[in-house]
Amino acid sequence: MRSLFDRMFVEPFNRLADQSAHVVPVLIMVLVTLIIGGFLAFVARFLTYRLLQLAQFDRLVQRTGFSSMIDRTGVFRSPADLGARFVQALVWLFTVLFALNAADTPASVELVRRFVDYIPNLIAAGLVLLLGVAVSRMISRSALLAAVNAQWPAARMIAGGVRVLVMTLAIVIALEQLHIGSLPLLVAFAIVFAGIVFALALAFGLGARDMARQWLEAKVRTSVAEEEVFRHL
Amino acid sequence: MDELFPAELKSRLDQIGEADIIVGIPSYNNARTIGHVVRAVSVGLAKYFPAQRSVIMNSDGGSRDKTQEVVMQAEGGADDLLLVSHPVHASYRISTPYHGIPGKGSAFRAIFAVADYLHAKACVVVDSDLRSITPAWVELLARPVLEHGYDYIAPYYQRHKYDGTITNGIIYPMTRTLYGKSVRQPIGGEFGFSGSLARRYLEKDVWDTDVARFGIDIWMTVTAIAEGFRVGQAYLGAKIHDAKDPGADLTSMFRQVVGSFFSLMEIYENVWKKVTSHEAVPMFGFPFEVGVEPLSVNTDRMVHAAQQGISDLREIYSAFLSPKTLADLTSFVHRNGQGFHLPDELWVQMIYEAATAYRYRRIDRDHLLQSLVPLYLGRTASFVLEVTESNATQVEERIEKLGQVFEAEKPYLTQQWDAAGKERLHAQPV
Repeated sequence: MRSLFDRMFVEPFNRLADQSAHVVPVLIMVLVTLIIGGFLAFVARFLTYRLLQLAQFDRLVQRTGFSSMIDRTGVFRSPADLGARFVQALVWLFTVLFALNAADTPASVELVRRFVDYIPNLIAAGLVLLLGVAVSRMISRSALLAAVNAQWPAARMIAGGVRVLVMTLAIVIALEQLHIGSLPLLVAFAIVFAGIVFALALAFGLGARDMARQWLEAKVRTSVAEEEVFRHL
Repeated sequence: MDELFPAELKSRLDQIGEADIIVGIPSYNNARTIGHVVRAVSVGLAKYFPAQRSVIMNSDGGSRDKTQEVVMQAEGGADDLLLVSHPVHASYRISTPYHGIPGKGSAFRAIFAVADYLHAKACVVVDSDLRSITPAWVELLARPVLEHGYDYIAPYYQRHKYDGTITNGIIYPMTRTLYGKSVRQPIGGEFGFSGSLARRYLEKDVWDTDVARFGIDIWMTVTAIAEGFRVGQAYLGAKIHDAKDPGADLTSMFRQVVGSFFSLMEIYENVWKKVTSHEAVPMFGFPFEVGVEPLSVNTDRMVHAAQQGISDLREIYSAFLSPKTLADLTSFVHRNGQGFHLPDELWVQMIYEAATAYRYRRIDRDHLLQSLVPLYLGRTASFVLEVTESNATQVEERIEKLGQVFEAEKPYLTQQWDAAGKERLHAQPV
């Protein structure tokens, strides 16, 4: 009777106690790590924000033109806020990784290992996106100025199209770095891009054949005519 | 220096040894007109400088229309109807391709190098597409250098009232305001200068910039004034070009000329900040009235360009213009037709704010300059509409008035410039 009682209640309880003795300290450690990490992340955000404000980071970013983009997101109050939150997110990320590592279970260790292996891809994708934003901005502005100086009526639309195209290309490359649907995305991009070019060629060459001819004729004629009548220097 | 001289040119220069006068003619596909220019120069050298050793140098940008052959075959120099006495020395003639960035500035650099190599006392440069050049131009540009101790002679022409709008609207009044010398055609294209100034030009490291292109004229003028060389002007009469001017696209020209001028403001900041007034520049030659070719200008197209610029480039303008200037520009530019008017004060403030933004790189410099083109066209339209009924004298008075506004607003430039400098100093990361 006693052995039945032991088998039914005491042994499972002892096993649970033994397991708990292993798990609870780990859980407590994970919890403490997360609490300390959260606090450190908050402090890091606060300090970074103050430092960026002291360095007049907002004004510096304002000159690059990224400020308006940050404003438009409606998520961040200012470039300094974005920087501070980024640092906070980084501290959080490392805290979680640290906590997972501390848990020391096969699953958490594997997760951490995979994540660490993935970090270079994340960095590469982030850099590609950053570069994409900068390049798309630069190229679209150049396109806008060229179109305005050529007095094309749809100058802004052209600039917007150029920007979307360059950003799309950057996103496709970034996603490829992250190994997220790389081949289908690449194929989809190629199809859409080729489609746009083909559609534009058709629209210009067939749909607006007369306009295209007149425009080219006018272009050739006015460039000569203007030189004949007017000198700026 | 050796990279500027192909072996063939070097041996030719060694043959020549030394020269008193170098006349440089930059060219690119000017076979149609360069023969006349070479002939006028040859006769000018033979007639006015018979005792001097002279070289006519064609610095060519790779013409494919036999420009170089025309230069070498052009007659001249011994025209009995024009000469009182025959020259002691026949002028040498060189036609050589230049090296470096394709452009007028690179062509000039080769001319400076040849002048330096041959220890020339005076140099003259003339455009290869001139139809109104006469032999007297060589004398007017070279004699003040050879005999009166001048280092730099700028041209002075009679031009149509609508002609030379970058000169009249920006470069002339700003040169006068900033550097204190009233050089009326600072980017005229024809200049005389001393051998020592040519050497000074050669020492500068600017040949990878817009100075190598259309920026060369203003760069030469400002360098000569700002570095204290003795500057004069020569009255040349009318300036008539060939109709065809390859590569003369407004946006590029504007960018190169105005960009070079703004860059010079950075280099010579310590010079122009001290200048408080301007003085007249001595004039050589005998001023006379000439007829100029009629010009027609499509002001509607220019007004439309300005209006489109203000609408489409607002984001770019807001990066370097003050909110007040931008608001005023918007309000004035959106007036149509004959009522269109851009006040001088607004134009000047806009230029000064742009120059400051260029200096402190508030926006990509190339984008800034390109964005000014529609506003420049608006200003040109405003000027044309204003002087439609005016004669040449009244137009000169009008340009003089603009110059006075540039001068009156100079404290605004200094204040903007200094404030931007301080702002940048404080914005340095701690």
